[in-house]
Amino acid sequence: MEFLGSHLLTFILFFPVLAALVVLCLPKDNLKTIRWTAFGASLVPFTLTVILWMRFKSGQPGFQFQEQYTWYAALHSTFHLGVDGLSLIMVLLTTLLTPLALLASFNITDRIKAYFILFLFLETGMLGVFMALDLLIFFVFWEIGLVPMYFLINQWGSEKGEREIWKGIKVQSRNYASLKFIIYTMAGSLGLLLGIQLLGVLFNTYDLQTLYTNWAALDPNDAMLHFFSRVLTVSTVKSIAFWAFVIAFAIKVPVWPFHTWLPDAHTEAPTAGSMILAGVLLKLGAYGFLRLVLPLYPAESARYAGWLAFLAVMAIVFGAFAAFGQKDFKRLVAYSSVNHMGFVVLGIAAAARASGTLNATIALDGAVLQMFNHGLTAAGMFFLVGVLYERTHTRNLDDFGGLFPLVPIYGGILIFTSMASLGLPGLNGFVSEFLVVRGSWPVLTVYTAVGMVGLLFTGAYILKGIKSVLHGPLNEHWAHGEHKLTEINLREIIVMAPLMMLILVIGIYPSWIMDVINKAMMLLFP
Amino acid sequence: MEKFIIWLLPLPPLLSFFVILLFTNKRKALSHGIAVGAAGLSWLGSMIIFIRALGVEEFGKHFFGASINWLPTGSTWLKIGVQIDPLSAAVVFFVAWTVLAIFVYSIGYHNFGQPIGDHDVAGLPPHGATLAEHGHKHIVPSIEPMYSRFFAFISLFAFGMYTLVVSDNLLTLFVGWEIMGLCSYLLIGFWFGKPSARNAAVKAFMTTRIGDVFMLLGIAFVYSFTGSLSFSEIFKPEMLQALASTPAFFGLSAAGIIGLLLFIGTVGKSAQWPLHVWLPDAMEGPTPVSAMIHAATMVSAGVYLVIRMFPLISAGWTEGMPLNTTMSLIAFIGAFTALFAATIAVAQNDIKRVLAYSTISQLGFMIAAVGIGAYVAASFHLITHAFFKALLFLGSGSVIHGMEHGILYTGDHTDSQDMFNMGGLRKKMPITFWTFLIGGFALSGFPVLTAGFWSKDEIFAEAFGNGHLTVFVVLAMAAFLTAFYTMRQITLTFFGEPRTKAAEHASETPWTMTVPLIVLAVFAVGYGWVGIPENFPGLGGLIPNWFHEFVGGTLSKLPKAVVFSWVPLVTSLCVALGGLLFGWLVYRKVKSPKQDFLQIPVLKNKWYFDEIYNFIFIKPAFWIAERFTSLYMDQTVIDGILHSVARFSLFLGHAFRNYFDKPVINELLGDGTGNVVKASGSSLRKIQVGRIQYYMVASLAVLVIFALLYYFLLV
Amino acid sequence: MSIPLSWYLILAAALFSIGLFGVLSRKNAIAILLGVELMLNAVNINLVAFWRYLDPAKMAGQVFAIIVFAVAAAEVAVGLALIISVYRRRKTVVADEIDLMKW
Repeated sequence: MEFLGSHLLTFILFFPVLAALVVLCLPKDNLKTIRWTAFGASLVPFTLTVILWMRFKSGQPGFQFQEQYTWYAALHSTFHLGVDGLSLIMVLLTTLLTPLALLASFNITDRIKAYFILFLFLETGMLGVFMALDLLIFFVFWEIGLVPMYFLINQWGSEKGEREIWKGIKVQSRNYASLKFIIYTMAGSLGLLLGIQLLGVLFNTYDLQTLYTNWAALDPNDAMLHFFSRVLTVSTVKSIAFWAFVIAFAIKVPVWPFHTWLPDAHTEAPTAGSMILAGVLLKLGAYGFLRLVLPLYPAESARYAGWLAFLAVMAIVFGAFAAFGQKDFKRLVAYSSVNHMGFVVLGIAAAARASGTLNATIALDGAVLQMFNHGLTAAGMFFLVGVLYERTHTRNLDDFGGLFPLVPIYGGILIFTSMASLGLPGLNGFVSEFLVVRGSWPVLTVYTAVGMVGLLFTGAYILKGIKSVLHGPLNEHWAHGEHKLTEINLREIIVMAPLMMLILVIGIYPSWIMDVINKAMMLLFP
Repeated sequence: MEKFIIWLLPLPPLLSFFVILLFTNKRKALSHGIAVGAAGLSWLGSMIIFIRALGVEEFGKHFFGASINWLPTGSTWLKIGVQIDPLSAAVVFFVAWTVLAIFVYSIGYHNFGQPIGDHDVAGLPPHGATLAEHGHKHIVPSIEPMYSRFFAFISLFAFGMYTLVVSDNLLTLFVGWEIMGLCSYLLIGFWFGKPSARNAAVKAFMTTRIGDVFMLLGIAFVYSFTGSLSFSEIFKPEMLQALASTPAFFGLSAAGIIGLLLFIGTVGKSAQWPLHVWLPDAMEGPTPVSAMIHAATMVSAGVYLVIRMFPLISAGWTEGMPLNTTMSLIAFIGAFTALFAATIAVAQNDIKRVLAYSTISQLGFMIAAVGIGAYVAASFHLITHAFFKALLFLGSGSVIHGMEHGILYTGDHTDSQDMFNMGGLRKKMPITFWTFLIGGFALSGFPVLTAGFWSKDEIFAEAFGNGHLTVFVVLAMAAFLTAFYTMRQITLTFFGEPRTKAAEHASETPWTMTVPLIVLAVFAVGYGWVGIPENFPGLGGLIPNWFHEFVGGTLSKLPKAVVFSWVPLVTSLCVALGGLLFGWLVYRKVKSPKQDFLQIPVLKNKWYFDEIYNFIFIKPAFWIAERFTSLYMDQTVIDGILHSVARFSLFLGHAFRNYFDKPVINELLGDGTGNVVKASGSSLRKIQVGRIQYYMVASLAVLVIFALLYYFLLV
Repeated sequence: MSIPLSWYLILAAALFSIGLFGVLSRKNAIAILLGVELMLNAVNINLVAFWRYLDPAKMAGQVFAIIVFAVAAAEVAVGLALIISVYRRRKTVVADEIDLMKW
């Protein structure tokens, strides 16, 4: 126990890999064993995270549960893990959503061994990003997260559908989406790597804590690097790294106009893949902003906050409009992610502009809570779309209609989750959106006001979804015979239950989680 | 003790909602038992609070309240809490009564105790069940398929309203506000199988949401300005002073902007022009829902908000001063809506739609009253209106129910809500008739007896007494129209002879429906007597003007009673009686819509607002959503750029391969080196003869040559 | 008194040239081997002669000569064995006909 206690993060981080190795050795025809092993194994990191949560001291500055091992001494890079309130929230979200996503994948029969192994690797990748205190490690895990997701989309994505990319040239949608996803993110992480390397050369270390403390120590006009015949000063190097970071994270969030990979990837991914993609992977970008950009570059962030807010508002408004315009239910939900992540970015922008004030803290509180909330609701929404798709093999909203009497329990759950996504007060989405609006209104008044158009249309697309699926005259096709729509089953309800519980609990009594977030934000951005 | 009860006040309906949905969904009697029991508990709590409040001296200063820390924000906390002050005590009183009445009424309305319908499905109104009795079959009303769910939803609705009323802060108020929005959506779309109901539900939610997002901004503004959301903090004199003196945008003060933003919320929720369009469509819901929305909860919430926010709206204004911009705007919107909605109401044939427009119109009265600073009059009218409008809606539901009974009996398909299909119902449905008459007279402001007279008269008196003549005249015209269309409705429905077979066979509704009507009728008459002005000729002073004293005490400064004048009183009498008389005279002879001279297209079509909005807002929104954003912006422009980059990379790769890699690297450098080596190899191989002696001669020759070279050149 | 060093050297050179001629001109592998032996012994004469005339105090010349004997003996042993082995397989000891490595 003692050993476990002092290496908690390592255990959480690498347990999925161990589990993946175990799964690798299982006989491939025994679907049940593979499923239950993977699912059971993914519960272990969650349990450990709960222990982590309990032992975490929220008022304490700095990182906790730190572990540091030699890794690449020649580069001054160490394997350094640690969590503060911000990463703790994200770790909790990841370890919570992964078991649910695995449970949601129980209906998959095609090459499930590979599927579950990839999923477990994915979990390690995501957790690593949130726990890393060393930039090089951060980058390594950042990339590790990409690869499994690529294969999940590419191999287990929806089989139907083509996308016309150029006049007359068509490719299979899931190939298109997975390629777009990985190329786009790779393009971003290229800059990320560059930025990290530059900082590593500049400070002779990749350790985040050291960077935090030594950041201002260098003379900005010192010549640091020789680039052909020119000399780069410290400040130039820093600003190159700034832009590299911003672009990498903006692609990952995604910020308008870098968002177009998202609807494609989300729509084509398998249900559980979409859950994780929307639930956790999008948070990596926002996490990067909060972990690297804002703390290291307060001045630059403040200078460009207006632009960031502009892009955020574009994401909010256009995301909502685009979601409203979709005929494909899953695409609708995918665009809703653009819309919701826009609020996260708006909060970040406001905090960047007003850094150090109460408004900034509130905006950040809202942004981080919105990250968590969106993780819950988006995962839930994608899962519910998946449930429907699995039974009907269509996602076209026009094909449904009046399904409520056939599937009352599903309908109730869908309405509940939709309302959380809509931001209904009393459920979680409202708390975070309210805080973001409250935090950004005094700082970025006009942007916030324009963003309200997006909030209005959030209602429109959510209601459109409910209206087309559940309400209206019954589409008789689903009422009888072989197409008869069956009610959501127990396993699926069990997937939704924890999400719904959290949605309700955070909506009514948010202070248990807000306490951690708020203290973390106050410590991180004093 | 009081605080404890106030905290618990909204909870029974919430529990009822969850219990019914999760556990008793299949058991109808248990479900309505739980729902009515919960409403009863809340009612009991409200009454205890109300009576206790009456016993407190200067209740406005010593109100009940408590708060807790809810959300950490930086080093401060966002507090939420409950409070019952005079205004909310008065509101909670009517909410408790109307909610309970509507709950009980719903049991009868949804045909509890009747058999399950032959072809009924969830999502459509019940169609009736065939019953074999004494050898012959006949059709009787059937029970609502989603009976339990209905009670769950209205329980949640009641929870929303109670939460809103007991809130001591804007945040929980907004929570209750939005939960009611959700419930209105769920309940207007209760019969979601009907496309019209489905669309009406979405329309209601979206239209009110327009108001809500502005309101959210207002809340964010006031929160960031004052650092608190609780009323007592915001309404501190120095805080109001600061709000009124800080300029914001558009030349308005911060208080003005916040007031406006919050008021837009009210415009949506209370269906004021220009966001009034959802309310008439909301009639698609079951009638108890209409009563719930129109009287007990939703629209009242909007008015409650402006009354609650009156100190903020009127910050910097004192009685007798000219109205500030925000107040003028509120007064304008209110007065305009009052008249505008009344003009539409006169041309409607659907019994519920007439009432819907009359609600909009009456809410306009209240809003206008707040706008001219008469918030006590507004709250008085809010309460009396809640009683008589709940009564009218439940009455109309009873009429429809009776008509449906007749329709099932005769089997022909007449519209059970069209007033021209009715007539002569006073003999068939006496209790409904008398209670509806009381409600209608209260709505018209029938002098002295009815509650509506006293509250409306107070608004007239305030408008006239404070010199807001335009408002006064407009409201008077609206009041005349109100009396007129009310009498039109009563005449067409109850008087004369039955105009259809269904009307002939209509029958009185069960006690669960009539008892609530009677209870509400008592309030529709009696509640007016608690607010008779002191200086009213003859009656003034017989009963103390309790309402003015009590609710007026909400704010630190009691508004002074307006000086009595005959002009508003006479006007009020004239318009009410004149309208009623005129309506009766015109419509007692009318038998069909053709004889009705008010069937003017522009009025029947509600001044074409739906069409205009459709053209200006909805169609462009659809275009932006379906074409512009995802298709043009994302898939064409942004993805186009991406694809161009991809194409360019592809082209670059292609070019590199075909014009550099292949010719230069592969052919020139790669193959070229190979070729040179090969050629030189094949030419050099000739000296590889394989004879050792040959090699040795060659090496000897080389040795000799080098030796000679060495000798001659170097030595 | 005596015979000068150059005589020895001329003798050795002559012997070496004879050996070389034998190696280059003969086709019989055994004869070639013999030629090599002659060349080796020419070297031995040189070694011994230089030792005697230039630096008799040291033993290096003699030692080298003995090493050359050893090498020559080994060479003959291995060489003859190879030739016998080749002869057994191919029934010839003519160098031209042993052309397995030729392209």
